Amino acid sequence: MLEGAAAGPFSVDDMVPRLAVRPGSQEEVEAVVLACGKAGAAMVPFGGGTAMGLGNPPRRLDVVVCLDRLGRIVDFSEANLNVSVEAGVRLADLKAVLAEKREFLPLDPRGPDRATVGGLLATNASGPSRLSYGTARDFVLGLRVVLASGERIRCGGKVVKNVSGYDMNKLFTGSMGTLGIITEATFKLLPVPAMRVAVIGVFRELVGVGAAVATVLESQLLPEALEALDTHAMGAIASALGLAQASGYGLAAMVAGNRETVERQVRDCGSLFSQCGATIVPPLSDLQSAVAWQTAGDASARLSGTSGDRVSVKIAVPIARTLDLFESAELLGRSSGGGVVTAHAGSGIVRATYLLDRGVMRRFRNGLESLRERAEGVEGCLTVEEAPVVLKHSLDAWGKPPEALAVMRRLKNEFDPGGLFNPGRFLAGM
Amino acid sequence: MGPNMVSSRLAQDLREIVGKENVIGGGVGLQLYAYDAYLEERRPDAVVFVHSTDEVSRVVRACSQRGVPFVARGGGTNLSGGTIPARGGVVIEMIRMNKLLEVDRANLRARVEPGMFNLELGNALAPLGYQYLPDPASQKAATLGGNVAENSGGPHCFKYGTTTNHVVGLTVVLPDGEVVRLGGKAPDASGYDLTGTFVGSEGTLGICTEVVVRIVRLPESVRTLLAVYDRIEDGSETVSAIVAAGMVPATLEMMDQLVIRAVEQSVKCGFPLDCATVLLIEVDGLRDDLEEQAQAIAELCRKHGAREVRVAKDEAERAALWAGRRGAFGAVARITPSYLVCDGTVPRTALPAVLRKVGEVSQKYDLMIPNVFHAGDGNLHPLILFDWRNAEQKARVMKAGMEILEWCVQLGGTISGEHGVGIEKMDAMRLVFSEGDLRAQLKVKRAFDPKDLSNPGKIFPAATRVTCAA
Repeated sequence: MLEGAAAGPFSVDDMVPRLAVRPGSQEEVEAVVLACGKAGAAMVPFGGGTAMGLGNPPRRLDVVVCLDRLGRIVDFSEANLNVSVEAGVRLADLKAVLAEKREFLPLDPRGPDRATVGGLLATNASGPSRLSYGTARDFVLGLRVVLASGERIRCGGKVVKNVSGYDMNKLFTGSMGTLGIITEATFKLLPVPAMRVAVIGVFRELVGVGAAVATVLESQLLPEALEALDTHAMGAIASALGLAQASGYGLAAMVAGNRETVERQVRDCGSLFSQCGATIVPPLSDLQSAVAWQTAGDASARLSGTSGDRVSVKIAVPIARTLDLFESAELLGRSSGGGVVTAHAGSGIVRATYLLDRGVMRRFRNGLESLRERAEGVEGCLTVEEAPVVLKHSLDAWGKPPEALAVMRRLKNEFDPGGLFNPGRFLAGM
Repeated sequence: MGPNMVSSRLAQDLREIVGKENVIGGGVGLQLYAYDAYLEERRPDAVVFVHSTDEVSRVVRACSQRGVPFVARGGGTNLSGGTIPARGGVVIEMIRMNKLLEVDRANLRARVEPGMFNLELGNALAPLGYQYLPDPASQKAATLGGNVAENSGGPHCFKYGTTTNHVVGLTVVLPDGEVVRLGGKAPDASGYDLTGTFVGSEGTLGICTEVVVRIVRLPESVRTLLAVYDRIEDGSETVSAIVAAGMVPATLEMMDQLVIRAVEQSVKCGFPLDCATVLLIEVDGLRDDLEEQAQAIAELCRKHGAREVRVAKDEAERAALWAGRRGAFGAVARITPSYLVCDGTVPRTALPAVLRKVGEVSQKYDLMIPNVFHAGDGNLHPLILFDWRNAEQKARVMKAGMEILEWCVQLGGTISGEHGVGIEKMDAMRLVFSEGDLRAQLKVKRAFDPKDLSNPGKIFPAATRVTCAA
């Protein structure tokens, strides 16, 4: 348990909690929540602390409940392709355990290694391989969640086919801890493909990238991931791989499978990219592919400047609109202090990270608002995942609420009538 | 039969909303909507045929204002009693809302009305080169709205998941008549995942009037195999071996001898009558290594005791193999007047154990139990045969069904893999959930339907009450 200055590392949007507690077991989480409930103390769940910038500033922050000590791998059944882990297990550690048995969980959000399973689920984090495999909601078989009463409930189970009662897994995934604190999760797994190779094309113009994406999606090819990269991100990959000439937009496809299908996809992808005007980066080995992928994921981290000035947003739109929003996001970067834009091009997701120049903050804020309007105009949304508090006070993190907001509020009221779980940060302050 | 819940005022309102030719207010017509593919019945007090979201909304509002329960219905193929009007009231028949509204290839989405049959959607997409992946065996007669309500599965779940993995948006009429859109063509809508919460909620949280689904390209190539075994254990061991080899076939289905014999009498697909079980396997994807995959699987089958492995040479042979599998329930229905379909699921490694248990239950209760199951995901369908006119036998059947579910849970599984809890498995919910777990689910019910009018009397054990705060 940490108080005062020692609780500093657990601050959220410049608010320092009065207390930070680190329960050592799921039963201790129950006791903590019960005690906080009785004291009327607002709780903020905390895993690896890698996504604490998501959402609006907390309305109250009394106790941070850090789950990093819930580190057990409860049960790994390789024959049944499932694993049950406590919420504090780091994704990187889980992946290593699974890899030993040649299995994997296709969740690949970018970000520091210390991200935990609980945090990833609560924030519905995802990465490039969502194109082929889906997101966390598609892999969760079961959860254990501590509710506001301090009671721990079970959702789902351990089997893939399960329609016994409501699908509570879906309710809690992405709920940012506002309905309960996830303490354990069971995931369905997949066997690791025999090979993985990245095919990268460099394009002079974004319109070429768009044509290539559309053609890949219409084709028989089945890449695991298809990432669009702006010139900064592509430049970062080029230097990581020692490719001097590659400058322009990038389109990176990850193809996986047995040797024959990988070779065919590498050929077809390469020729398809070329037909759309790309220069193809020379074929990458397994290791080089992994480096390229890692670099693409970290590109925004390479933005110089202090983290206090970073603004990261996630834009979600129908697939065919991805590159429109990519272009708009890029334009905004050029008119501010700089930015990096990438996209899960076949999934409708654009990720942009900007360096905020506080001298032009109002203009930037208005630019973000316009970007959000563009997204909402095509029935999508723009979410602020990280921003200086001063910006957060002038721009809602979530945007226009969905039509069923009233139902969502009733759900919040059922599960957390006292408003003690993560108040203020989630959509509409729930 | 209870008191008539539909007053003459409500009946008049209903006639005004949908037209009097679309309201059944009495007589034999009501009896037709008293039952589905489960084993109970309860007459509704009125049946209303609806044609639009607006009509559904107005009908639901009219019922809600008067405290009258209602239940949506599609093809009525529900196996757990989900479409039986357990507390009377109004059946809202959705089957005429059956249009394909839009196929949006650029966004890999389609928008459909819920009364469309699952197979119709598949047939509409195939000429365009696309498919909607969840394809339960009932697809000729089951509607997409029903698929949403039950989170239907089918034979391709092992590789492709279930309905909830392919539904990205819904238009829902809430139980007070309000219309909301959940999700849509864009991913990751903000707030709670109500689309995911609604799928599989068995009509108890409202009625969906439009479904936005994910569509994908048809596979470039497909290979279908049939492996024949003299011992059931060899079949299930093959399944484990295929998984252990790191392969993910699109389909892994097993049928036992009783089912095979019934199928051959009904559909005649050339299944051998003297084997213990057959394993139907399908792999799909890029053509480059598909033949190799098929051969590797055939090898594993033989290595684990298959006496024969057939690989379908062409589309006609493939269709024949599938006809046998898809016709299984219908074929078995010819043996005795009735059957109870169990829907338990176990971890794959527990399949041999649960199959032994089913055999023991069959002997203990003196009942024939043919078995067809989704071996890849551990979802079994023992079909307990009986004659509904024999009350004593029916009582044994219900006990046998419950015992099978108990075994499934004991072996680490659950009570319903794809057919839903409905009425059939309400009491069995306590095998998998504690009172606290059930109270949490009831919070969801209350948030959507505080008056408990949307398909009431389903899912939750009879003793739990929706309207008390927990």
